[in-house]
Amino acid sequence: MSYYDLDAILTGAEKIPCTFQLDVPELGYLDNNPGYTLKSGTKVLLPLWLAEMLAIADMGDHQNPDKSFIAFDLPPAVGKDVMAALKADPRSVPIRNQSPNFYNLAKHMMDLAEERELHAVVRKTFLTRAADISLHARKSGGAVSKGEGSNLGIGAAGEEFLRGLDEWERILFRKAHDGARSTKQWIEGIKKRY
Amino acid sequence: MPMYGDAGLKLVQHAKRTQNLTHLPPYQTELVRSVAKEVRDLHKDATNLLEPFLKVQGSFDPSTDPATACTLLVNHLSMRRNKRCLLAYHRTRTDKLEDLVWSGHDVLDLSAQQTGGESGSSSLSPQEEDYVRQYGDLLAAFKGHWTDIDLTGSLEPPKDLFIDVRVLKDAGEIQTEYGAINLTKNSQFFVRQGDVERLIAQGYLQKLG
Repeated sequence: MSYYDLDAILTGAEKIPCTFQLDVPELGYLDNNPGYTLKSGTKVLLPLWLAEMLAIADMGDHQNPDKSFIAFDLPPAVGKDVMAALKADPRSVPIRNQSPNFYNLAKHMMDLAEERELHAVVRKTFLTRAADISLHARKSGGAVSKGEGSNLGIGAAGEEFLRGLDEWERILFRKAHDGARSTKQWIEGIKKRY
Repeated sequence: MPMYGDAGLKLVQHAKRTQNLTHLPPYQTELVRSVAKEVRDLHKDATNLLEPFLKVQGSFDPSTDPATACTLLVNHLSMRRNKRCLLAYHRTRTDKLEDLVWSGHDVLDLSAQQTGGESGSSSLSPQEEDYVRQYGDLLAAFKGHWTDIDLTGSLEPPKDLFIDVRVLKDAGEIQTEYGAINLTKNSQFFVRQGDVERLIAQGYLQKLG
């Protein structure tokens, strides 16, 4: 993931539920209270780019080397409910509604927290969905604009599924779709020439 | 209440939309300015926070004052985030500009058309205009090494050697193998494709049929 990657930067804006572990006089504005002390134990929603570093930063407290500025919870997008739904059927969850950068977000959270189950579920989700994405990409018609109603054989359920793809899956869909189309064009071109 | 980094995020969302467009939307001068101002404010805050420590002890030890350390870290991260947003925004735009230069568009002309041809207003920032001009010069110098190959020409072999074209705007007189043609607006010609490919790319001519 590049420094300039827009999707990576947008993922950084996802909000993470955090709890401050110390009083900070200057940071009241993070809790909509500028000018007041941010008390230890206050729950605030912080963007990932901020929460990530605050959670792993070393406070320099030698008695508690593991203690950091904040403790954090998993955001709802990769929380228990969504994981339960994905376990039941990965295809029926429009993960885009959870986060447009669902996999990126999950990846960051896995880096921060020991979440073996999250890893297993997300992995299985991608594998199952990728197969379906490739299927739809080959089926949808020659039009460049994807997901039109006139596409053969996709059906309403398929369109619903495609609308729920996150950014990464969309890229996958576009690549699979363009690849299939270019191959077809190339073969037709060969037939014409000879 | 607006958070640090919100304006930067807006810029990146702009950039994200730009990626899927064929043209370049107007430069977000106001947003860029407000992000830069945010960074300056944050820097001032950091300097003020550190000043008493530097005066008394000559240095700052985070473990003696975790609250200040936390504030400084938040401050620093906000600046870093803003920097990344600014760089990503501008890089998305310059990538797009480079593509336009390579495909033979007259970028400066194009951007003036989009804003309705008002003089002085362009969808590019002055720096971007400069960038395009210099990148164009670089590309021309690079192409100059191989005068017998048109590096930005089409990779598709032409189906017909001669094509019908209509003139969209006056382009003056051009020389071809078959003599000079005067390209005046709205006239039509049957010409050799190789002679006019550049002019089609630049938007002077339109290919018919």
